[in-house]
Amino acid sequence: MNVLEIKNVTKKFADFIAVDNMSLAVAEGEIFGFLGANGAGKSTTINMIAGLLRCNDGIISILGKNSAKHSRFAKMNLGMVPQDLAIYEDMTAYENVKFFAGLYGLRGAELHDLVVEALEFVGLQDKHKSYPNSFSGGMKRRLNIACAIAHRPKLIIMDEPTVGIDPQSRNYILNSVKKLNEMGCTIIYTSHYMEEVEEICSRIAIIDHGKIIAEGTKEQLKSLITNTKDLWIEVKSSENLNIQAIKEIPGVEAVSIEEYFIKINSDTGVNNLNKIIEHLINNGIEIRGLQEKAPNLETVFLTLTGRNLRDQ
Amino acid sequence: MRDILWIVQNTLRVTFRKKKNILLYLFMPLIGIFIALMAYGGDQKMILHVGVVNQDKAEITADTIQFLAGLENVKITELEAGQVQEEIVSGKLDSVITFEKGYSDSVLAGRPDHIQLTSIKGAQVTGFVKSYLYQYIDNISTISRAADGNQQTFQQMYQDYQQSSFQLSTHSLADTSRNKNMTTQTIGFLIMIMLISASNLSEIILLEKEKRTYFRLLSTPINARKYLLANVLVNMLVMTVQVAVTLTIMKSVFHIGLNMSYWEAAVVMLLFSMIAVGLSLVLISFSKSRSAANALQNLIITPTVMLSGCFWPVEVMPTTLQKIANFLPQRWTLDTLTKLQEGHAFSELSLNLLILFAFAAAFFLIAVYKFSRNKTTENFV
Repeated sequence: MNVLEIKNVTKKFADFIAVDNMSLAVAEGEIFGFLGANGAGKSTTINMIAGLLRCNDGIISILGKNSAKHSRFAKMNLGMVPQDLAIYEDMTAYENVKFFAGLYGLRGAELHDLVVEALEFVGLQDKHKSYPNSFSGGMKRRLNIACAIAHRPKLIIMDEPTVGIDPQSRNYILNSVKKLNEMGCTIIYTSHYMEEVEEICSRIAIIDHGKIIAEGTKEQLKSLITNTKDLWIEVKSSENLNIQAIKEIPGVEAVSIEEYFIKINSDTGVNNLNKIIEHLINNGIEIRGLQEKAPNLETVFLTLTGRNLRDQ
Repeated sequence: MRDILWIVQNTLRVTFRKKKNILLYLFMPLIGIFIALMAYGGDQKMILHVGVVNQDKAEITADTIQFLAGLENVKITELEAGQVQEEIVSGKLDSVITFEKGYSDSVLAGRPDHIQLTSIKGAQVTGFVKSYLYQYIDNISTISRAADGNQQTFQQMYQDYQQSSFQLSTHSLADTSRNKNMTTQTIGFLIMIMLISASNLSEIILLEKEKRTYFRLLSTPINARKYLLANVLVNMLVMTVQVAVTLTIMKSVFHIGLNMSYWEAAVVMLLFSMIAVGLSLVLISFSKSRSAANALQNLIITPTVMLSGCFWPVEVMPTTLQKIANFLPQRWTLDTLTKLQEGHAFSELSLNLLILFAFAAAFFLIAVYKFSRNKTTENFV
């Protein structure tokens, strides 16, 4: 059964088309990853699913019901973990979760038990009487999640839930996502961290310019670019690097820089390694190492969209 | 409705958890009462301290002094001529009456003279003494003229006058103007506090947008309409308590007569609370941030409160400003209350009440229209 179905959905803001005739389906029990650079239409899609925006065209169905017509039903079955922390600083952790869970009609002992359960799930039970202003960034993120899951939604949308937190908290949150999925929740997950999406998502959609340009498991996505390879060239400094010039070398599909690594995605059918090395040496760039890697999700993204996930 | 009440309950709990909010919303309105008490309160029964210098030592002079001593609001102190200046300058006495030698004879002659009134406090003080004293002296002069120089006839008529069988009894009338002024002053201040309270409580909407909790709320079964209604309910509840507390304390603790029924005053003020909420929503709907809302609040609330006569009577302002005040809801609220104080029945004030309703409805409609036009990406994404 599909928990979420998006059929031919379009969203315009004046003349700008943020989401362009998008269709996708998320089955029960999936962790579905949304990948897209800023402005790709990812947040607009998520806001339409969450009922914060109305689409101009198309239908969004949650658990088989049109969410525009059955808004309350859709929202009752949905938990939203927004990218920005949406918690009350002047309410304790317990009160925050209780307030949001109460909006779903829960009251009394049932409400209390679910709030305690949610706080235990995110590891904040011992801090239930504390105010968020005494929390670390990671703890606030966890509280942000607790507020969305206490009412036991069938579909949870997590929009960049690990932004700006320490690795320990990030691991905690990723494990929580997996645990929630094991408990039967379907999850839509967006992140700028490709390795997170690769680690936890069972299926991924890549969005660009308001359209889904690729969709499938990570293996299926990687298979889309089997005719390319990744060259990771470690250099002393990339200051004099002319990316455009490298892109013009025959066979080069995409180029990106990550600290001291120049990542070049190149056609496997073209032997252009000599030309690439020659170009770097001629431009005074000292090469310290070179390795060829199988394409990862980031390469897929870069190849398909032509831009890095973190591009503005 | 259940989820609306859940938000109302939560907003009230979080708001009144802060002591400064308890002070602002519940105790600030009472400041108006204290200001009114300071402005119009105090002992209304003023006692005049009058010094008397008797250089005449005649019977008529003694009787005149006795007459003065018999006045309810006058306290007589006998002095020597040399003490007059010191007592007046030091402020111990409000005025001094000097009966010079020959006073009695001049009265008997029908041409009162040889009497001096000394004061540095002006007509406010001397007027009262003069009016009583001159009337008394005129009466005796008239008797004297009627006796036409016959000492025996004068004595007879004078004694009859002193022991007249008719009696004048005096009753102090309650000064309703004082209570009316105090009520207007207190309500004027309450109006300002209600407008500020409504703006602050409506600003919670902007705060929630800035903190992004508003968008999370909208992803729950709550929609924007319900959220707005919850905010209006919180506003109305707080202002109902403000009105009830202020009127009750005015009436029961400070015994300030409202000069109208408690319930009539409460209904008018609750009507005004709808106007205050409507206006605050208009201010919020036109503001993108809390700082912008605060600036608008300062720009609108304080000047209109001053113009509409909340702090001083509109009559003291130039005619142009008085005309402008007629376009302000605060003016119509005060006008309705004044008319109730003047004894008009509630049913006679349908025009006033209609105008107040119209103000509230207009503000709500503007706010709803503006809110519905605010659905931009900036506000929602």
